[in-house]
Amino acid sequence: MKLELGNIIINDIQFTNEGSKVENGVLTVNPEQIKSLVLEDSNIESCEVFIARPGESVRITPVKDVIEPRVKVEGPGGIFPGWIAKVDTVGSGRTNVLKGAAVVTTGKIVGFQEGIIDMTGPGADYTPFSKTYNLVVKMEPVEGLKQHDHEYALRIAGFKVACFLGELGRAVTPDEIETFEFDNLVESAKKYPDLPRVAYVQMLQSQGLLHDTYVYGVDAKRTLTTIINPLETMDGAIVSGNCVSSCDKNPTYVHLNNKVIRELFKAHGKTLNFVGHIITNENVYLADKERSSNWSAKLAEYLGCDGVIISQEGFGNPDTDLIMNTKKIEAKGIKTVIITDEYAGRDGKSQSLADADPSANAVVTGGNANQVIVLPPMETVYGHLHFVDTIAGGSANNIDAHGNITVEIQAITGATNETGFHNLSAR
Amino acid sequence: MVKEIERAGLPVVHICTVTPISMTVGANRIVPAIAIPHPLGNPALDLEGEKHIRRCIVETALKALETEVDDQTIFDVKY
Repeated sequence: MKLELGNIIINDIQFTNEGSKVENGVLTVNPEQIKSLVLEDSNIESCEVFIARPGESVRITPVKDVIEPRVKVEGPGGIFPGWIAKVDTVGSGRTNVLKGAAVVTTGKIVGFQEGIIDMTGPGADYTPFSKTYNLVVKMEPVEGLKQHDHEYALRIAGFKVACFLGELGRAVTPDEIETFEFDNLVESAKKYPDLPRVAYVQMLQSQGLLHDTYVYGVDAKRTLTTIINPLETMDGAIVSGNCVSSCDKNPTYVHLNNKVIRELFKAHGKTLNFVGHIITNENVYLADKERSSNWSAKLAEYLGCDGVIISQEGFGNPDTDLIMNTKKIEAKGIKTVIITDEYAGRDGKSQSLADADPSANAVVTGGNANQVIVLPPMETVYGHLHFVDTIAGGSANNIDAHGNITVEIQAITGATNETGFHNLSAR
Repeated sequence: MVKEIERAGLPVVHICTVTPISMTVGANRIVPAIAIPHPLGNPALDLEGEKHIRRCIVETALKALETEVDDQTIFDVKY
């Protein structure tokens, strides 16, 4: 299977009263078109649209999702199968991408109000989405809307807006085309008989409302561990429904641009043979954890792996899923490297993970999510700032008289991402 | 907490969903709970059904409390 990503580099977003378009690297948006699209859903009472550019004194919070605008221009399927497009298999043909642009959804969110994106200042270093040109869509639900319906409405509205913007790039000639090819097992074994066989085991957050991930429209908590073509993931098969403790949750943007997959493709045929992408869940029942990790190990063995990279999503009890995956895969004689993050306390002295095992001896960390940061006030806030003291990583009275907010970096969207999406390091 | 109370000389039963973590941290008597968001209940059941599973868990825990153990032990609940 072969996928081409046609990147249209976006250098700015502007508003217009006329038709929305992409021209000369500028995404020009008529906010009224966005509003009427969002308000098609009778569960959404109001919608406002803003622009947040890198370097501007802007804070977006709470962040529901971040989505990359895309359009399928050649080949089967469409963007976000199971939600916006039908469930045809994606991952082949050509998809155009508005590279550098993102849709950020905000507004009152079900239950917890999570996630901060600062476009400038010290907080901006901690979120990868301070570097994208963001179209911020703020939505409020109709009164009395049930929680699951509320989450669904916000999620789908974000996808619709991203697809609307992506569509503007349909006839635009991309600035660059990236080509990715993934062979079947027999072909790749013939081509690279001497290279180590490496698979990616991706753990998907699947713990319920605001903690869910979807594959081709299916709730990941209702799935058995399975094999997906990494090109399908790169082409929108996996989307996010979670944003709580947003430092280590994968917004949809991160699934589309999964760095583990990209790095494995870079190394493929050179230092390793990238043989497969296994997706598994992180459910709240012990039997599910046991079953899913059994299947991860079974499928890694079935793919004839010499090694796997395991990425976690979230923390706490999913640390057990992570350790179960590691132990069971290592027990098959397959080497593992795990990517996680740490909750080691504000002083960094506590145990980093809730579970551990000697076989988990190769660990990459996204950082300590309990690390405290002071975020200075921004001139503009899109969303609702008054929730900042109740989010994970926040605390009572954490805004001082000058408007400085003291929070743990777990409140910042993508700060300790566990798929290598964020490049902040201690070096 | 489990370890500190046991250090003071009182036996402890740890009712928890993720029993592997309980094993890792060193609990000696472990009773599996229902699920992480609802360890001692199940919203899919009616009130009678919930009362039944709760009774089963508590009775298993009481039995565990009076059972001598040589090693870390998981006491499965029979519903």
